[in-house]
Amino acid sequence: MYTLALLNGGLGTRVAAGQPKQLIRVNHIPAMVYPLVAVDPLPEVTQIVLNYPEGWREEIEKLVKDYAISTPITYVPGGSSRHESVRLMLPHCENEHVIVHETARPLVSTADFAELIASEHENVSFMLEIPFTVAPVEPETRRVTGYLERDRLRNVQLPQKFRLSTLQAAHEYAREHDLQFTEDATLCAVAGAEVYFIPGNDRNFKVTTKTDVKLAGYLLGAEGTDD
Amino acid sequence: MTKTMLVTGASKGIGQATVERFWAGANDIDTFVLLARSSTEFDELRAHLAANNPGGKRFFHHEIDLNDLDAIRDLLPQIIAEAGRVDYLVNNAGFTAPSPIHEVRFEDFERTINVNLYAPFVITQGLLHAGNRFEFILNVASTAGINGRSGWLTYSASKAAMIAMSQVMKEELSIYGTRVVTISPGRCATALRRTLAPDEDPSTIMQPEDVAGVIEMLASDFGRFVDSQNLVVRL
Repeated sequence: MYTLALLNGGLGTRVAAGQPKQLIRVNHIPAMVYPLVAVDPLPEVTQIVLNYPEGWREEIEKLVKDYAISTPITYVPGGSSRHESVRLMLPHCENEHVIVHETARPLVSTADFAELIASEHENVSFMLEIPFTVAPVEPETRRVTGYLERDRLRNVQLPQKFRLSTLQAAHEYAREHDLQFTEDATLCAVAGAEVYFIPGNDRNFKVTTKTDVKLAGYLLGAEGTDD
Repeated sequence: MTKTMLVTGASKGIGQATVERFWAGANDIDTFVLLARSSTEFDELRAHLAANNPGGKRFFHHEIDLNDLDAIRDLLPQIIAEAGRVDYLVNNAGFTAPSPIHEVRFEDFERTINVNLYAPFVITQGLLHAGNRFEFILNVASTAGINGRSGWLTYSASKAAMIAMSQVMKEELSIYGTRVVTISPGRCATALRRTLAPDEDPSTIMQPEDVAGVIEMLASDFGRFVDSQNLVVRL
């Protein structure tokens, strides 16, 4: 059985700079609702650990009730970084396997979660090919330092799944070596675990900017369906 | 898995014809929840269903006035308890008390909005809050909601609002894969039509059974190919 650890940074600081903080909404529906609705019908997921930005627990709980999410939810306060948020969620995960997702990817589907669960491997991330060229550079001097073979690179997406003990060990490794990661697939790989990828799709992008919110709204709305 | 259909205004007109059609038809719906005000027609419908039940289907019925929104709120948990869930929802019940603006009694306007707009909202939202995932919601609006006519102020306003509400529901509930369909019947030989147009010969216009046939098509697998807009159904 699986626990979904759902990262809910959720507040629109980057999307709406200068405005009072608010939940990111796509087509007026809070972005966090989409993955909750997508995962709710899956019998393999028997627990959701949902973190919340400080001061937002009541609001988040009301949304979960309004949208009638039936999978039991454990609420955990968010950390000071994404890395720390995941670490703080781990002691609350009750299942042997954990799926990590973030509410900033509202276009995830039930089928995506099902595909991840069905993967033969224990530690797996959706990843995308990179359709453009990236270069290693020295930012301080703006010197280009070489070449990266993009066929051997992937854009790391979510959701990901891990054996809980593997993810715990990886976070312990990071603590011992004073490392911070921006996601957990590479963390686990660096910590020595076997991690695999399955090809993702470009619909499941991360909603970060105002433009992303509009694009996600378009894709999720009636206009986004092909004529 | 067998399905449940809830029909409001089930005792007469389009509601009754819809219940009878799905009751007799070959489909996966084996449980019906019938809502209507108490009437001899409602009694007769239930007797008819019980006496003509080759498919071994079952129904639950509730005598309720949809003007009473609190009564609806109280009833919903009972519906969930007895039927388990509602897969198909037909928001059909309608009320009208036609009057020119100078003569409109405000309580009639409130009743019209309660029955035609707030009741379908309360039923839909209440069931969503209870965790119900609809497969199909059909809202019966009216051509009166597209074009106003003298004397139909309250009814036209309620149906125009329902058309708009239904469009929004269609978008919002797509995250559950729910199909939300709006139909706007034109002149149809119902009791409500007799109130709107008392001098008309009902035998010359569209019959409730005709609309029920369209609803059956819309609920079928083919329905998705024609359900993108408010569908006008008229002779």
